[in-house]
Amino acid sequence: MEVLRRSALLLALSLYTAFAAGPFVWAAMMSLRTTTEITRDHFALPIPAHFEKFPLAWFSSNYSVYFSNSAMIVLSAVLILTIVGAMAAHCFARYRFRLNRVLYFLIFSTIIFPPQITIIALFQILVQYGLYDTKAGLVAVYVAIQLPLTIYILETFFARIPSDLFDAARMDGYSEWAIFWRVSFPIALPAVATTVILNFILLWNEFLYAVVLITDEANRTLPLGIQRFMGDQLEDTGMIATGLMIAIVPVILVYAFFSEKLIQGMTAGAVK
Amino acid sequence: MTSTATLREAPPVAPVGAPGQAGATGAVRGPAPPPDDGVPRPYGTILAFLLPALTLYAAFTAYPFFRTLWNSFHKVLPRRSEFVGLENYATLAGDELFWRAVRNTLIWASTSPLFEVTIALLLALALYAKVPGARFFRVAWFTPVLMSYVVVGILFVWIYNYDWGPVNAALRWLGLGELARAWLGNPNTALPALIAVTTWMWTGFNMVVLLAALHSLPKEVIEAAELDNCGWGQKLVFVILPLVRPTLLNLVVLSFIGKMKIFDLVWITTKGGPLWSTETVSTYVYKRAFEWSTFDLGYPSTIATVWFVIVLAAVLTLTYAFRLREKLEY
Repeated sequence: MEVLRRSALLLALSLYTAFAAGPFVWAAMMSLRTTTEITRDHFALPIPAHFEKFPLAWFSSNYSVYFSNSAMIVLSAVLILTIVGAMAAHCFARYRFRLNRVLYFLIFSTIIFPPQITIIALFQILVQYGLYDTKAGLVAVYVAIQLPLTIYILETFFARIPSDLFDAARMDGYSEWAIFWRVSFPIALPAVATTVILNFILLWNEFLYAVVLITDEANRTLPLGIQRFMGDQLEDTGMIATGLMIAIVPVILVYAFFSEKLIQGMTAGAVK
Repeated sequence: MTSTATLREAPPVAPVGAPGQAGATGAVRGPAPPPDDGVPRPYGTILAFLLPALTLYAAFTAYPFFRTLWNSFHKVLPRRSEFVGLENYATLAGDELFWRAVRNTLIWASTSPLFEVTIALLLALALYAKVPGARFFRVAWFTPVLMSYVVVGILFVWIYNYDWGPVNAALRWLGLGELARAWLGNPNTALPALIAVTTWMWTGFNMVVLLAALHSLPKEVIEAAELDNCGWGQKLVFVILPLVRPTLLNLVVLSFIGKMKIFDLVWITTKGGPLWSTETVSTYVYKRAFEWSTFDLGYPSTIATVWFVIVLAAVLTLTYAFRLREKLEY
């Protein structure tokens, strides 16, 4: 009886797994098949596997440009976010001053803002500053939208570092800057890694701000590129599937190596 | 980054604050605190640490926010803008498309959390009950949320395809061929179909959070319940659920906020169609601002402002209601 219940449960869970992972597996299979093969049978295994479709998708469209744009924009944004966010979080957690909680709350509360409340004006402002349709402009906006969450996660962590540690460092003659850089930051590395991975994934997948603030083909990020790719190759299902897989690969790589860290990061905001 | 030297100096006099951050400059005034009170208050250092973040916040969040509010009372054309008072708001009140979009978004935001969190709770409980391969399940279920809405959107355009999509293929295989339809092309099914997509995407995420909450429950309480001869059902209802309740409510709010913002998925799959059946406020604002060649950024700003107020009110009400119930029960 117990065995029966167990296997029924396992069956249900396996079914859900098929449901959750199925679309991805299906797309991965199609990415290795030509459109002619796919039209014949949409659900057949990729035999023979056409790995040559990956270089083909990469070179025949602008994928190399989209990919390097995304990499450049996301990595710069994450780097700036980490430093700026850690500095601010350290400050909020370490120093008592009037307005500390007010400023923290002001920054934190923007987490619930719908993006529309800033996006139209951001478009105007970037046009004004000559940052519209530039990578630098998008980086600045990306930093601004991820800043609240980054500060929130890091502040929680910094606040738990015992202050004796800082007093000791101060007695050793560390400057405030050195305390941050050589005491706080290294201790907080696990939390920092969490925010780095989280910001990387979220920005790698970001679409709305990119679609509003970027128009030039040479500046398109991957999500914009995929959309374009789909428009161009509407009927070429096999090729689009290959394009999708190229976009997912970096995320899958990060997931393969840091799945625990990544899950931690994605869920950091949800558990108190 | 500022140099270490300026930070070490930490002048007690007020340094020049960044423009646009009201208040921050006020905080830097005042004498340096006595060094021995254990609460360091070197205002120069504080400012130096906060300045980069505050500047970015002021320039790319606070300023655009207020500029949108300003926009909403103006007609904003590429070269000039004129004050129109409440005209945009009056137009908005009678804008059927806007209210349609609000309705769609609210339906989405109020149904998805229920599906997501309920299914997630069942799955989390299953894993909590020590099923073999729990680690594998957990990692596999989490994957959908890692893909961008663009990728997910394209995938589900295929999945809902009339001729060869897996949904219709499965229906035909089961002999229910007459139920097959173009799921995203039909005004009656498009919105539910998209809600199913977000449920697919986010359930794993909710599950992982809930599982973490379950694992952090105090073992003694559950053991005590077991000693009291509680069955699984009783243990669930009287012990586990009340304990993970804060997490559950958190997830509901989080999912709600996420769906109030939804744009990408709709834009990739249906662009709000067919017949506005999947139009969300986000897509409508985008269309009014950047697609329809009206060149006026004032009206879309008005939509954004009103929507902002609605979202804020909804989130505050939810949080307040949940807090209140918490108080009533304990």
